[in-house]
Amino acid sequence: MRALGLAFSLSLLAFSLSAQGVMVAPHAVFIDHTQRSGSVLLYNPGTAPVEVTISTIFGYPTTDSTGGIKLDTLPRDSATSALAWIQAFPRRLTVGPRERQTVRLLARPPIGLADGEYWLRLIIAAQAGRVPITGLGDTTAIQVGLTLEVRTIIGVNYRKGPVTTGVSLSNVRAQVVGDSVITRAKLERRGNAAFVGMIRETLVDSTGRVHELQVGDSLVRSYASPVGVYYTMEPRLASAIARPALARGRYWLRYEVVAEREDLDPKVVLKAPAVRDSVPIIVP
Amino acid sequence: MKRESWVLIAVMLLGVPLSLAAQGKPLTVTGVRGVTFGAVLPGVPRVVLRTDPANSGQFDIRGPKGGPVLLSFVLPLRMTGPAGALMPIVFGASDAGFSSTQSIGSQVGFDPRQPTTVIFPSNGNVSVFVGATANPGTNQRAGAYTGTIILTVTYL
Repeated sequence: MRALGLAFSLSLLAFSLSAQGVMVAPHAVFIDHTQRSGSVLLYNPGTAPVEVTISTIFGYPTTDSTGGIKLDTLPRDSATSALAWIQAFPRRLTVGPRERQTVRLLARPPIGLADGEYWLRLIIAAQAGRVPITGLGDTTAIQVGLTLEVRTIIGVNYRKGPVTTGVSLSNVRAQVVGDSVITRAKLERRGNAAFVGMIRETLVDSTGRVHELQVGDSLVRSYASPVGVYYTMEPRLASAIARPALARGRYWLRYEVVAEREDLDPKVVLKAPAVRDSVPIIVP
Repeated sequence: MKRESWVLIAVMLLGVPLSLAAQGKPLTVTGVRGVTFGAVLPGVPRVVLRTDPANSGQFDIRGPKGGPVLLSFVLPLRMTGPAGALMPIVFGASDAGFSSTQSIGSQVGFDPRQPTTVIFPSNGNVSVFVGATANPGTNQRAGAYTGTIILTVTYL
């Protein structure tokens, strides 16, 4: 029965794959210095050929002044850039309907490269992701429409020698705004590799009882947000407080950063000690 | 049933190469529907809401459960028409919406002019909807006007 259910689900998935787009796997590439190469597979589930352009940039996630995540592509900190010595090829390719193509990543690191982790980002621009609009044939009237294009950017992490990571936590702040808990905290990476993990937030009252949070339609005891700390970041997180609303009083926000990620192979997630803090929240 | 059998079922149904599945969880970004304003009148702004099921733009994104992505748009300031004629277009602070259920009726609005972080839900499927306002001039030249919205999905 389970097999039938799975087959049914997968057949629905197959149907939905008929739209335009390109599938990229894996969603994060880790290259070891002993191998010096990697690959990314592109699959075209559509019925039209996809023109794909591959390019690379150096960049890593950081936060802006409001705590929003952004991809910092400025050239500073270029000591960790692998842009000059990891090449992707081919740079242009056509993926036929229901076909796959492989993009090879070849590393030629400089002699004497220090142990540690080096980064770049792979940009996959798919022209078949361009969706035309209809009804523009009439030239006697004013007809208007916007087409769509899609680009996918994945990370490439190159690891040489012993790599370690960790994170320090400071300046945790939390407040209730409306029906949400808003937090900021400063995270600084330790070691010679990016910290890839998760932030967990738990709201407890003065007796230690957990007040549930809401994620979509689900109630959770802890709100979890994946995070990658490449240098320093100060992310702003907002989690919805489950009903009933908080009564007046004093609460605590437990803030925890752990080296766990459910979306990545555990083999590539570097181990690091968890860090924790708690801050009071007053509901007037 | 053995794990290999499940994989075989997936490959047969999806047509996805076995080596692709073996590479890890894929990330797919699909442009589903462009923003359609249709016929507009000179001097009369035409608004397409992100909740408009027929005319709003739609992107579908599929990725691994719990995975974080950054959504950022490149938005046109104007659209190009006949003989190089231009028409301004405006995107407001709530002209984009994200749905973790892929339902146009269940969106969380966001500003398409600012990057936004999204976490894939359990089934890994999300949709992004886009609206905009076209502002034809009073003496706007007749013909077809087009522009392009580019969505960049960055895996964090």
